[in-house]
Amino acid sequence: MKLEQIMNAMPALLKGSVLTLELTVISIIFGMILGLFLALGRLSKNKVVNSCCWFYIWLFRGTPLLLQIFFIYFAFPMFFTPPLKLLDFPSALIALSLNSAAYMAEILRAAIQSIDKGQMEAAKALGMSYGQAMKKVIIPQSYRRLIPPVGNEFIMLLKDSALVSSIGMTELLRVTTQIANRTGNAVIYLPCAAMYLILTTIFTVIFEKLEKRYSVYE
Amino acid sequence: MIKVEKVCKAFGHLQVLNGIDFAVREGEVVCIIGPSGSGKSTLLRCLNQLESVTSGKVYIENELIEDKVPGEAYSKVNHKKAAEICTKLGMVFQRFNLFPHMTVLENVIISPMTVKKMPKAQAAAIGLKLLQKVGLEDKKDEYPSRLSGGQQQRVAIARALAMQPKIMLFDEPTSALDPELVGEVLSVMKELAAEGMTMIVVTHEMGFAKEVAHRVVFMDKGEILEENTPSEIFANPRHERTKAFLHKVL
Repeated sequence: MKLEQIMNAMPALLKGSVLTLELTVISIIFGMILGLFLALGRLSKNKVVNSCCWFYIWLFRGTPLLLQIFFIYFAFPMFFTPPLKLLDFPSALIALSLNSAAYMAEILRAAIQSIDKGQMEAAKALGMSYGQAMKKVIIPQSYRRLIPPVGNEFIMLLKDSALVSSIGMTELLRVTTQIANRTGNAVIYLPCAAMYLILTTIFTVIFEKLEKRYSVYE
Repeated sequence: MIKVEKVCKAFGHLQVLNGIDFAVREGEVVCIIGPSGSGKSTLLRCLNQLESVTSGKVYIENELIEDKVPGEAYSKVNHKKAAEICTKLGMVFQRFNLFPHMTVLENVIISPMTVKKMPKAQAAAIGLKLLQKVGLEDKKDEYPSRLSGGQQQRVAIARALAMQPKIMLFDEPTSALDPELVGEVLSVMKELAAEGMTMIVVTHEMGFAKEVAHRVVFMDKGEILEENTPSEIFANPRHERTKAFLHKVL
């Protein structure tokens, strides 16, 4: 393996990294929003809402992510006549978002439940509704407790996003495989691993910084 | 101002309140005393709907906020209206329950801003006055974790007052404090009483009850056994259990 070969592959690897990053960041944001509703649903006293959210989490945590990706890309469009044309990028995004939402829901639920009951009581005694108390008192307090597990989930998702190479998304791993096949030189996986490590390290640092910022009051 | 009729409260099989009849007039300071587990705190929490009664009626300022018949699960009153009436009650908790992610001033102004949609500047002006009243305006930008227990409880009182309540409920406000910090909280409460605030205080501070209360209520095993003026109840307790309790704490 010549250094030159690696240097030649760098633009492609960087492009792949950008796609990996896009997939991860967008999915984690959607996952977080959907996850919050799922978490509130799991905390709800309404039995129907609660069981629906339980079912969702059970389904998405209990089946492989790769299967979910295949299902959404290949099987889901078949339910429509004529079959839906789903592109690879939205399919990948949907699969990763839906999957991370299930994990996020459990992270959020645990964080919300870990807040002292007295906080909700004080908010209610001050006249706040359940929604106001959640928004102003409970959820803001859960931020700091959320950061470590969310950071963890983010890094898992960043690595798991490699699975969407199976439906033809040219993210970092797929790009590398293509280059390896084309040049017959598999050492190119080394710089690929380095790219993943750089990405995960950057985000580990960002999440550590965030955690410090949110612990000012403790 | 507050009237409670035949209120019962059970947690599962545990009967905590056993047919309570109780009333408080405007401007009155009532201290509720009694052994732990006697239902004092539960009674207080039933007044502002932190607990719902199992049966009985609760009136706040002549408005019915709880009306349950034994065996029926749902209160017949409008919950939204009841919640609105309950904003006339301020509550101070044993463990302060300040919001740790907000500064002292933010703690005080969050409820007027959220519930009454008061503009921030106006809320802050009121908040600062209240902090002044409890002697903590210099701590306005501190987080609660930086304050002593006594200071935290004084902030909690200011926070409750920010909603301009007609009645203040105190649930063992000094029980979680170091002995030397009890005085500063009690003196704020005395000041409130002197201003004519209607107060219901669950307390173990017999000195406070003697000095400030207009009436002392003795509870045991979910019942009100005796109520009288402090001088009368402390000097001539009528009930055997009141005698035994006072003998232990005085």
